[in-house]
Amino acid sequence: MPRNDVVNRLTSALSSLKLTIVCLALLMVLVVACTLAQVDLGTHLAVERYIRAFIVWWTPEGSSVRFPVFPGGGLLGGLLLLNLIFAQFRRLELSWRKGGLWIMHIGLALLFVGEFATALLQVESNMAIEEGRTKSYSEDYRRMELAVIDETDKEFDDERGIPSALLKSRAEITDASLPFKLRVRAYHDNAALSMRPASAPPSVITAGNGTGMAFRPMPPVTGDEEQNTAVAIVEPVLADGSSMGVYLLSNALGAPQGFMHEGRSWRLALRLRHYQHPFSLTLKDFKHDLYPGTTIPKNFSSLVRLKDPVAGDDRDVLIFMNSPLRHGGLTFYQASFGKNDTLSVLQVVRNPSWTLPYLSCILVSIGLLWHFGVMLRKALIARPA
Amino acid sequence: MKNKRLQTAVFLGALALAAFPGFSPAPKADFDFETFARLPILEGGRVKPLDSFARTALMSIRGKQSVPVDGKAIPAARWLLDSAFKPEAADTYPSFVVDDPEVLGLLGIPQDKTRYFAYWQIEPKRDEVQTQAAAADQVPSGKRSRFQSALLNLNHRLTLYERVKNTFMLSGQGDPAMDLAAFSAALPGALAAFHSKNPTAKDRVAMKILSDMLQRYQFLAQAAAFKALPPSKDQSEDAWLSTGDALSDPTAGSEPHPGLSSFALMGRAYRAGDAAAFNAALAEHAAWVAEHRPAAARAARVETLFNKATPFISGMALYLTALLLVFAAWATRREDVAAAARSLAWAAFVVHTLGLLARTVLQGRPPVTNLYSSAVFVGWAAALLGLVAERLHRRGFAVSGACAIGFTTLVVAHHLSATGDTMEMMRAVLDSNFWLATHVVAITIGYSATYLAGMLGVAWVVRRHLMVKPDPEASKALSALAYGTIAFSLFFSFVGTVLGGIWADQSWGRFWGWDPKENGALLIVLWNALILHARWGGYVRERGIMLMAIFGNIIVSLSWFGVNMLGIGLHSYGFMDKAFLWLSAFCALQVAIMGLGALPPRFWVDHRKEA
Repeated sequence: MPRNDVVNRLTSALSSLKLTIVCLALLMVLVVACTLAQVDLGTHLAVERYIRAFIVWWTPEGSSVRFPVFPGGGLLGGLLLLNLIFAQFRRLELSWRKGGLWIMHIGLALLFVGEFATALLQVESNMAIEEGRTKSYSEDYRRMELAVIDETDKEFDDERGIPSALLKSRAEITDASLPFKLRVRAYHDNAALSMRPASAPPSVITAGNGTGMAFRPMPPVTGDEEQNTAVAIVEPVLADGSSMGVYLLSNALGAPQGFMHEGRSWRLALRLRHYQHPFSLTLKDFKHDLYPGTTIPKNFSSLVRLKDPVAGDDRDVLIFMNSPLRHGGLTFYQASFGKNDTLSVLQVVRNPSWTLPYLSCILVSIGLLWHFGVMLRKALIARPA
Repeated sequence: MKNKRLQTAVFLGALALAAFPGFSPAPKADFDFETFARLPILEGGRVKPLDSFARTALMSIRGKQSVPVDGKAIPAARWLLDSAFKPEAADTYPSFVVDDPEVLGLLGIPQDKTRYFAYWQIEPKRDEVQTQAAAADQVPSGKRSRFQSALLNLNHRLTLYERVKNTFMLSGQGDPAMDLAAFSAALPGALAAFHSKNPTAKDRVAMKILSDMLQRYQFLAQAAAFKALPPSKDQSEDAWLSTGDALSDPTAGSEPHPGLSSFALMGRAYRAGDAAAFNAALAEHAAWVAEHRPAAARAARVETLFNKATPFISGMALYLTALLLVFAAWATRREDVAAAARSLAWAAFVVHTLGLLARTVLQGRPPVTNLYSSAVFVGWAAALLGLVAERLHRRGFAVSGACAIGFTTLVVAHHLSATGDTMEMMRAVLDSNFWLATHVVAITIGYSATYLAGMLGVAWVVRRHLMVKPDPEASKALSALAYGTIAFSLFFSFVGTVLGGIWADQSWGRFWGWDPKENGALLIVLWNALILHARWGGYVRERGIMLMAIFGNIIVSLSWFGVNMLGIGLHSYGFMDKAFLWLSAFCALQVAIMGLGALPPRFWVDHRKEA
């Protein structure tokens, strides 16, 4: 039957060793290309474009059309994973002799699944705490949010974060809990801010600290150490259609901006996205040790107080190099420091699939040892005495 | 039987030769240079003998561990002694190697036969070098021109030499003991004057003298290349001082550090050529160190012995001789020559092992901690693998691979040692003996095995064109060996790479970041896996496997050294300009060999017959 024939041909193509070899070779080329691209693009963007993509695109200089030039990491990884699964069941018999190959390939499949899961699920943020301060949120490295904060209560800020993706895609943002809607006049991932010359035509910005400022959109920067200056032009509009003024918001502007409405005090800010955690960390002490007589760092460590009313935790934890804190599905690593060693920066990672590589490493090691052991035994027996 | 005796003799003879530098008595000298070289100091965060510092410093300044003076090579410790106490003499030694023609042009030195120049030749342009270097420093390291890199390098070496000159006393100060005596005499009066409520004119003069002196000592404290005064036994272990530190903080302890006067007396005696007085002051200081810091004194003694024994230089010579003997055995087809070659290779390996062990013990760390030690270890593991493989197939291929890799990696290591202390302290993020012992060792064993497989491939190609009579059995044995080695390499590369990911997960929260070094490791795993799958599917046979194994040489080299040249990523430990040329040459050579292997068999032989 023709239908069966197609299925047969597809499964045999998917399980063929040729596909394995072609994919491995293409993957090698891709990895080399990604490594070289990191020199110009920075690690993050190079990985996004080459590895965490199904197709690598090429846009000629000054053109808006893009061409697919190479299979991306997602496509090659997926093909290899399918290939592995099909080959396993079609070609390999389940026997003691092939046991090593089975275990090894299962381990390998777990590694692929783990990398896919990481690409989809991992969220990285960082928490900068000064000595003596307490924090219960961490900040994203790149993504911005528009924070709308009700500060009426002196003790407690009622915060809402609107992701930058929404600011880009929608012209108006409404929220049932807000007595006004937000009209987004413009949003730029990166811009250069400057003082507005007195001779310039009247600005669209009518309220807040941005009235005296001008901005010029810039291409976003991608380097590992670079930070974008995002700009949002936002106008809060009441239910009756009256405007509260047009605000210029930017993560580069530190001073608070806001307005009063019906006795409530509202603050608007564009900032790195916050992630709230149901527990808090207090930095008690940060230590930065050097080798005697040098500036070579010997150790960094943060002594923190972990308070989690839900889990019933209230204890001291020492976070240092190669010894992170794992709590509530998050992992806190010593990442950086500042302000004359009184500020500690912890990297916060949520990665539900973090255990997969550990398991995979064990399985593949056992599998390889098993298989090569069998092969070596065969070779030694076959050797003429 | 005859071969057995020959082998034992060669083995023991080679070991005795290698042991010679370590146990040879020092040349007779009036001054006790040996004890001076053994004195412990603190530099780069660790306690080491003066000898080690002097060797590293001279290696980075001159590219060698000795400098010729009046037709005689003087060792590094002597050079340091001269630089510190007789700078006017040391300034005339040809201590600086300058290769770059543009830098020579800047210095106004005509290009001549020699590449070595004395400080006095450079001194007139010292300020110019400083200014130019400051400008070059503004350019990011990857974008510097050859001239800019060479100039920065020269400036760095000049600064190091100037710091050495200003470690024990101010360069050009004259008699350090007289200066110390003047300081000790001025101190009580001046201190009293500082505390007096109504300072007289005399008090003011005393204070002025003291403050001038203190200013000079503060300069000395900043300039010092190392800290030579150990803490006394009731002080903290880390409280080492340089001469300048001890002098510029006179209120820190009521008693001045006894080492101050010892070194000052050594300086006076050395300048005056008075060996007896020098030795007496030196003995006094050594005795004080032995009493207060016995552990430091012991460690420094052992390390000096290790420096003197130069096991890696001996190993290099033995590997090369063994390799030449293997070639001789192939040419003459004599079994006794082959046996001697094997013994010599084992002797080289034993010397290599002893050196590696000594380093591991001295440093108290797993064998691989930096690029230098990775070169030593890759060579060692490849030699071991090759020698073991040779026992399975006694045809000389594996042993030739072992010797070639052992020799090459030790040469590479020797050149890498010019970049600084080879036992430098570990930066915080790398400071984990567990991961250094597992991840790093597994990865480097993977490198070793891939190189060995590549060398077997090279041997296969050479044989293919040089052997007059085809020997299919030997070829088969060779390819079986290569297959086993690739399988071995795949295991260690994979495990090492994943362990690296797990370490990364532990230390900065990412299992895998697609960082250049990680990608390099991944490429080795992918390539070895590709070879094995291609063989399994029957897409390649003997020749294909061998040529692919040779390509493995390129992949490992790029992963090992190439990624450091990208100058990015969390793993990069130092940019190397010259190494880039060597790396390119090595890769080109491998491609050429692969091309040769792809030609029809007996290509050369047939053509010669026709001609």
